[in-house]
Amino acid sequence: MKLSLLFFTVGMLLVLLQTTFFHLLPLGPIVPDLILVLCVYWGLYYPNVAAALGAFALGYSVDVVSSPILGLNAFAMSLVFLAVYLSSRSIWLHNPLISAIVVFLASLVKGAALVLVWAVFLSMDGLWTGAARYIIMEALVAALLAPFVFALLRRGQSYLERIRVPAE
Amino acid sequence: MLAFLRKNQVLLSSGFCLLLSLYILTAAARGHLKQDPVGPVLLWLMRPLQITAQAATGWIKEIDQRYATVAGFRTENERLRKRIQELEVERSRLLEADATNRHLQKLLEFRPHLPSGSITASIIGNSASSWFQSCLLDKGSADGIRKGMAVVTPLGVVGQVVSATGHSAKVLLIIDANSGVDVLVQRTRARGIVSGSLENVTIMKYVKRSEDIQEGDRLITSGLDAVFPKGLMVGTVVKVNKQNLGLFQHVEVMPAVSSAQIEEVLVVGGGEPDQAKH
Repeated sequence: MKLSLLFFTVGMLLVLLQTTFFHLLPLGPIVPDLILVLCVYWGLYYPNVAAALGAFALGYSVDVVSSPILGLNAFAMSLVFLAVYLSSRSIWLHNPLISAIVVFLASLVKGAALVLVWAVFLSMDGLWTGAARYIIMEALVAALLAPFVFALLRRGQSYLERIRVPAE
Repeated sequence: MLAFLRKNQVLLSSGFCLLLSLYILTAAARGHLKQDPVGPVLLWLMRPLQITAQAATGWIKEIDQRYATVAGFRTENERLRKRIQELEVERSRLLEADATNRHLQKLLEFRPHLPSGSITASIIGNSASSWFQSCLLDKGSADGIRKGMAVVTPLGVVGQVVSATGHSAKVLLIIDANSGVDVLVQRTRARGIVSGSLENVTIMKYVKRSEDIQEGDRLITSGLDAVFPKGLMVGTVVKVNKQNLGLFQHVEVMPAVSSAQIEEVLVVGGGEPDQAKH
């Protein structure tokens, strides 16, 4: 429970960061998608119902604060979580490079999902060509940041688990 | 059934979330989702945090802008420094031009006091030997300068032209041991010859012991040597010695014109017409 609360707090903090501080980074229109990184982490290391709901909730939060249509990011994040969860069964090696690759691929899945849903629900000319650049850039940035975020989350998770064990 | 649900709870919950999000999407896209129950609550919860974060972001932006401004100041400072250097060079050039202008103006004002036909010239070189005190002028026989002409400034006598080529002339300064200027003591009208010496002292020669000469007396040209016009300043007496035995006094003179400080001169007098060439 504590862990879920921590993850949810971290998630909300990331939403806050993505809507404020991350815009200060000199990356042009690209905002590092750490929420996606968190969802991938959940899919890999913390796959449970709370994480699935958390991925949906975070995506929904992004929709609430920035999306033109509700459900867009909620769908994408849920899909990412599910994809990572399903693929995590076949991933045996866990190191920073693998995590970066998984995040990169997950980011591509998210981008593809967003564009697909966008194309279905919101018609827009030249959507694919414009989105391709964003998808690749976002995926690269997220993949670069993933090892650090993963390390931080793992540290926080192991810390909380250490506290919980003596109490039990 | 319960075991199946428990076993696939993540998969099922994810699927549920996917379906829910698709439902929300569809409803929102079709305009059926008139009221979002969660969104306002979420925004209400996040509002203070976002206000604080936004304030912090603004603060960081301001710092960034200030830094950019300071960096701009640095660039501007460097540009201004360069500009100041350029202006210093320009100022130096203008001051030099002004000084030259004033010298020439003085020469022009001085010209009416001299015989007609005086020529303005600039000193372009000094003596190459420590044995002789001379200088070179930038004008020569082509400009009307001839051997024997007097070289003067508004401050006083400089020397005498000893040779002239087409476009230059050599001047023997009055501080040279070989020179001689017929002078008068302005106060007493006592006569003598001012000449240089190898001891680097300018002296007034042939002054009778009986003559009243004092330190500070001004010496002017007598005009009797037919070289220098009468009344030009030659120098000031700085030392008088009558103790030596002999007919004459030993008088040391401070020349009115320091050759090291002059740049423009006037060349006056008739000179020697037959030796004008070279």
